[in-house]
Formats: sequence, structure tokens, C-alpha cells
Amino acid sequence: MGKLTIGCFSSLVGSLSLDFGVKLSQAAVQKGHTVDFWVSSNATMLSKKGQRAFKDYSALAKPLSELFATGKFKATACEACAEARGYGKEDTMEGWIRKSMDWYLASAFSADRVLLMGGD
Amino acid sequence: MATIKKLAFVVRSLPYKTEASRLAFTHAIASQTVEIYLEDGENIEPVLCFIGNGVMNCLKNQQAMKHYGITSNEQHMKNSLLLDLKVMICKEDLDKFGIKEDALIMDAEDIGGETKAQIVPYSEIQKELEAVDHIQLF
Amino acid sequence: MKLGVFMSSFESGSDVLDRLTAEKLGIILVGNGVYHAAVKDSGKESPIFKKSANFYVLAEDLESRGFNASNVDSRAKVVNYGDVVDLIFNDYEKIIWI
Repeated sequence: MGKLTIGCFSSLVGSLSLDFGVKLSQAAVQKGHTVDFWVSSNATMLSKKGQRAFKDYSALAKPLSELFATGKFKATACEACAEARGYGKEDTMEGWIRKSMDWYLASAFSADRVLLMGGD
Repeated sequence: MATIKKLAFVVRSLPYKTEASRLAFTHAIASQTVEIYLEDGENIEPVLCFIGNGVMNCLKNQQAMKHYGITSNEQHMKNSLLLDLKVMICKEDLDKFGIKEDALIMDAEDIGGETKAQIVPYSEIQKELEAVDHIQLF
Repeated sequence: MKLGVFMSSFESGSDVLDRLTAEKLGIILVGNGVYHAAVKDSGKESPIFKKSANFYVLAEDLESRGFNASNVDSRAKVVNYGDVVDLIFNDYEKIIWI
């Protein structure tokens, strides 16, 4: 079994890249792989607690909670990116950690595959 | 035995409208502190490659601080060179836009840097992509 | 190298794709990238099919946009998320996202 590191910059609402990343994580974990999920820039919104599920917007809090429960999924948000967007540690969803960008590079170091969704 | 993993940060995005190219710089520069997470002898070696529209990030005289109040990508480029990161700029893409070397940030001598950016044919960037462990497009 | 390219956009990605060479190349169409396999612009197929590559299309993104397997260029194989995971770990050693 391998380790997949996924990085994403896209916003929770307005881009489906995070949805893709979460679904890919679910499929990888189901097959026995481990996943490190790194969010920076606008993607840090994925780590914010208190998200309400509306049918017009992506709602990923529930699948994330299920992924955390597997023990094969770690998710980390860029601390500076989150602070720049006005939310602090106390606003972070359970299961997430907040680190600086070197965490992502360290994750990439030990990853078998790295998928960086960095364009949009 | 030392284990070095090479990561390519390939920039194809224009600066400023999106955060993508800036994030390539900041993530690559984060390699300077990654050792705190790694074992002795382990490290990350980043290489920054600029292709397509991404070569615009390498232009001199960016005044983003003056107008947007944010650090320019020029400053990030100089910081990258100051930290001896390998920087490759695609020659064909510069030629396509008519950009000459003297319009580019090729060094960080003004802040004490010794490493220079390299203008290379795409074939050299392709070789680099084949040599690295992981490729990331920004 | 064995390279898997995720194409998530209907734009050509030519700045990357045209010059990119790989001993084994896979192009996995996801998100708006599925239009490359499902529609023809002015009657012409997407230029991505000029690449010598294995092509895949994510079923979920295809169906979300009103298409199904019968609409897809015969060179592209329709896959699900589990198949994509297998492609990532078994077929391609490096993966990129356009």
C-alpha cells in the first residue's frame, strides 16, 4: 500500500477541485492507501468548522469526518493562509492540524505519489 | 546515507491575478525549514521552472508593493536565488514573448545572493522533470 | 518517465502538453476536462488526442455534465475513482494537474 499526498489551493465553494481531492482520498483509503491532504491559499476554507450544507454549494465536512475516522487520512491547513483569511485555530474543524508550508514538503518527501492541484 | 528528494515547482501561471505562482515560490522556499520534520541526512531539493505565461513572473521592476501593498514575485524570485534554489526559465517562451535576458531577474546580488537563474531550452527543463521525484504545476 | 496528467480544464494546456514527453503518458480527463472527449469544437476533435497517450475519462464528471460513455471518443476509457487510484499507484510514477 502506498502514500498519496494531495495539495490543493482552490476554494471550497466555486471550484470542484477540493471535491475531487476528497473523493480521490476516499477511494485511495478504501483501497488501503494512506492520504495526506494539504490545503493552502483559498483551500484553507475546507478546514473551517461550522460549515452548513446547502444544496447549491459543495459540502465536504461530513466526508472529511469519515475520512479522519479511518485513521488513514491526515489533513493539514496552511496556518498563515488561514490567518490571512481571518480565522484562527479556534475556528478549525476537528481532525485538522495547522502548519506552515514545510509540512507539505515533508509529506511529499515520504509520499509515493504527489498530486498538486495548483492551477485554479 | 543521505536521502534527497527532488521536487519540481513548474510555474505556468501569470502573476498576481491568482495566487498560484506566488505559492510556487513560497512552497519552494519552505524547503529551507523542512528538515525539522525529517531524519538526519534527509532533505528536499526544489527546482523552480518557469514555462509558458509563467515566465512573466521573472520580469524585473515589479511594483506590487507600491500598488497592491504585497510582496512582489520579483522579491520572491530574489529570495529563492539568495537561498540557492535552482531556477530555470524557458528560452523558447521568452523568445515567443520577445523578452530579453536584461529584462529578467537573473540574480540576487543586491541582497547578497550568489546563485543565478538559468535561461535554458525547454529540453533542459524536460530533463529536469525526468530527474525529479515529483512534479507540481502552479 | 511514466507520467499521468490530470486535465481538469477544457483549455488546451498546450503550454505543457505540446512539449511534454514521457516514456508512458496517461491523460486522465476530470472536471471540465471531460469535454475534450465528449464534444467536438467546430467538428474537430480535441488536440489532446494528437498526443501518444492512454486516455481516461472520469465517469462521475462525465455524467454530471450530461454525457455518458456512448458520447466519449473511443480512444478514452471511462473510469471511476477507484480506477483512478489504481492508475496513480500502478501505472504512473509522477502525476500532474492541469
